[in-house]
Amino acid sequence: MSRKLARISVIAALLALVMVAVVPVSSQSAGEMVPSIIVHSVTQAERPIEYETTRLVVENMRELGLEVEHRAIPWAQLIDEIWYSRVEGEGRAERPFQMTHWRMVGRPERSDPDEFTYNLFHSSVRDGGYNFIGYNNPDYDALAEAQRVEVADKEARLELICEAQQVIRNDMVNAYFIHPLTPQVVNTDTFNADSIVTQAGIGVHNFWTWIGIEPTGDDKTLITSTTSFLNSFNPLEIAGDAPSRVTEMTWDRLMRINPIGVPEPWAAESVVWEDPLNVVVTLRQGMTWHDGEAVQSDDAAYSFEAALAGTTQVDEDGNEEFRPEAPDYHPFARNVANIEIIDDLSLRFTLHTPSAAFETSSLAKLNLIPKHVWEPIIDDLLTRDDADADSIQEEIPIGSGPFKYVAFDVNEFVLLEAFDGHWALPQIDTWLMNVLPNQEATLGQIQSGEMNFLWEWPGDPGVLQDIVNENEHLDLFSAISIGMNYFAFNVRYAPFDDVSFRQAVAHTIPQQFIIDNIFNGMAAPADSFVSAALEYWRQCDDLPTYDFSIEGARALLESAGYSWDDDGRLLYP
Amino acid sequence: MNRGVVYYILGRFLQSVMVLWIIVTLLFLLFRLAPSNPLASYIDTTFTKQQEAALLARFGLDKPLGEQYIIYLFNLLKLDLGETFSYSGKSVMDILRADLPNTIYLTLSSLLLAYLVGVLGGIAMAALRGSLLERVGTTFTLMTRAAPQFWVGMLLLTFFAFQLKLLPSSGIGPAIVRYRWETEWDKLMSPVFWRHMILPTFTLALYLHGLPLLLMRSNMLEVLDQDYVTMSRLAGYSEWRVMIQTAARNAMLPVLTALTLGIGYSIGGNVVIEHVFSWPGLGRTLVRAVQQADYPLAQGAFFFIALIIVFMNFIADILYSLLDPRVGASAQAQVS
Repeated sequence: MSRKLARISVIAALLALVMVAVVPVSSQSAGEMVPSIIVHSVTQAERPIEYETTRLVVENMRELGLEVEHRAIPWAQLIDEIWYSRVEGEGRAERPFQMTHWRMVGRPERSDPDEFTYNLFHSSVRDGGYNFIGYNNPDYDALAEAQRVEVADKEARLELICEAQQVIRNDMVNAYFIHPLTPQVVNTDTFNADSIVTQAGIGVHNFWTWIGIEPTGDDKTLITSTTSFLNSFNPLEIAGDAPSRVTEMTWDRLMRINPIGVPEPWAAESVVWEDPLNVVVTLRQGMTWHDGEAVQSDDAAYSFEAALAGTTQVDEDGNEEFRPEAPDYHPFARNVANIEIIDDLSLRFTLHTPSAAFETSSLAKLNLIPKHVWEPIIDDLLTRDDADADSIQEEIPIGSGPFKYVAFDVNEFVLLEAFDGHWALPQIDTWLMNVLPNQEATLGQIQSGEMNFLWEWPGDPGVLQDIVNENEHLDLFSAISIGMNYFAFNVRYAPFDDVSFRQAVAHTIPQQFIIDNIFNGMAAPADSFVSAALEYWRQCDDLPTYDFSIEGARALLESAGYSWDDDGRLLYP
Repeated sequence: MNRGVVYYILGRFLQSVMVLWIIVTLLFLLFRLAPSNPLASYIDTTFTKQQEAALLARFGLDKPLGEQYIIYLFNLLKLDLGETFSYSGKSVMDILRADLPNTIYLTLSSLLLAYLVGVLGGIAMAALRGSLLERVGTTFTLMTRAAPQFWVGMLLLTFFAFQLKLLPSSGIGPAIVRYRWETEWDKLMSPVFWRHMILPTFTLALYLHGLPLLLMRSNMLEVLDQDYVTMSRLAGYSEWRVMIQTAARNAMLPVLTALTLGIGYSIGGNVVIEHVFSWPGLGRTLVRAVQQADYPLAQGAFFFIALIIVFMNFIADILYSLLDPRVGASAQAQVS
């Protein structure tokens, strides 16, 4: 007991030191009124749940004696006011953003905690990258870097990941409050419910379901829809959630994230690490592309070379700038220093630095593309500066995945059919995704049978529960997402540069009320950027809690030296 | 054709060109100055400054605004509306060329239905003036005119598509059928396409029929008071012949003018219906383009709509000058 106490006090002391060292001194003077605060979110029409949550928290923040404005704007505009307005004097907004509702969605490659651990908080991505909140903590940077290269010892990496979560929770740079439960509805008259696979952190709309789902009768067509955009069918572009569903089925990958969130060999028969920098990958025998050509090691090598390809340009100031031809995938291949072809089926990757996440975020991320199709395209792109791989749309996309292209009409539909030549032949014959911008039409179609798999539902989850109760042929599936909803603070500026202030704001978030009333129970409480769905990476000591309590928040502010004027407005220490 | 009419038409043509130029300039500035960012859909945890620079260069947004404007105008003269930001590998023209026919089919069939029902209904309402049927009919028409289109659309969708399962709920046909349509002709020859068109056409026509009906009714009432109608009655013509041949023909003219202009406005006004019924037309593309801050596509779609409206107005002006000699004469008087 006393050892634990001692450990906690050491951590607390260290954190206090870190805070003193890291957090910049606020520019305000003592006794000055805390200025008005703007809290951003998307509009009610876009995502009602996020809008309502923000409205609620804004109300509660006012109880602390703050003047708070809720600014709800469309996503494309929010990017301008948050992403591009992170620093004073930059961007189109009048001033840098202060606090915003934000959301990260779950994707298979996020099953490894590296992406969030590094990209959300490392100081190197503070200026143009995803650390838009401006967190700058050298000790945290060291942790994020250390976990990345801790390849051999998984337990040692777990300790580092846990420590990183502790630091972020203590510093309260992002106030996490829920991991959504992704509600999905399947017609279990058409499909055998037992054949539907729930992938940890993702839900039932995953690769394993697409290849394993069993039709109960002669109707072997899976029909689903998206309310979002379906504007790309391109193995070198990451164009959003719906297009990603299509690419992952059409193009194979060397590894795939399995249902419990761990990468396993897929198109590769084996993945063998010779040492922390060298890995030998051997392909399965007998694989073919959809056009009948054989899949060979030089195709696999080329899939990475295409992601690495680019030109170096010199700007007006004489600075050299590298422009990748496949900018979306370049970050996932960047760590590859060399690729050596051993024989027709084997190749060796040599990395610049050891990377624990290489299997998840590279081998299981990059699509295998046929060299005979893409080499001429990329070679042509290298001679032009008005286009890159994102702007290419093949007439007939060729992959080697278990489904092959039949038809694609931009923002209308994608039609795929099972590829007979694949070693993991799907049970269904046809997979169809329609674009249905009207949510009510989605609901109507799943009930009427026009659609049999509803995977995306941006509306009230309670509505889905109701229709499942009313329709015997429908079943509701849900899983805790890897993604999360949170409030992000711009820690560069007062008052959010003060950790006590941020912690006080965290106390104004009524987590359970939000889960029960706004999410209708379809969410799990969150306290970290690592979801409860990733059980392995959550085997940590308990993280600090910030229970909903306005009194608690006021007490915390008071102990940090804040006070209130006669009108009840909050004053700086 | 006299000189006055020629000058008049030339003048109106130049005016139309000026109007279009003002519209494209406004569109260009509006989207660029609006607080919205075309890179929004590219932001990801791995997004870098490098990627941002590459995208800006690809979209031509790294150039100064003036230069972008000049390039835009020159391209427009060549009818090149540019590349879209949000659809890979497609030009704005490709997208609009695919969308425009669907919007035209929907608009024309709804207008046709609306004006057929409207004109006949208007005549009937005028003939039944003062009766209970007229009161009910007029009230119903006013209600359809006042009811929000999306709401009417949803009701029809719920009833006919989801409850009775009589009609399909969205799109222009199942993908499994659609991908086999290689030309517009294949599409038009497919019964599937026409079945899909029933609900959106009916919804739109329900809204559109109010104007011709009420217009026709009031014109008829006005015409029915005229001496020549009384003369026809005195001459012993049947009431049917008086109504249709004498009164209706004269009451039709303003309705036809409304139809000409209605075509232009309806092309751009189908946004709501296209959204509710997932109809792949100009209006739906417009909404998507604005949502994604896809400047070239939004500009292109608005430009097309403006072009049609301006063109239809121009046609209406020419028709006026040909039908009404006073228009040309006054223009000539101004010239001399």
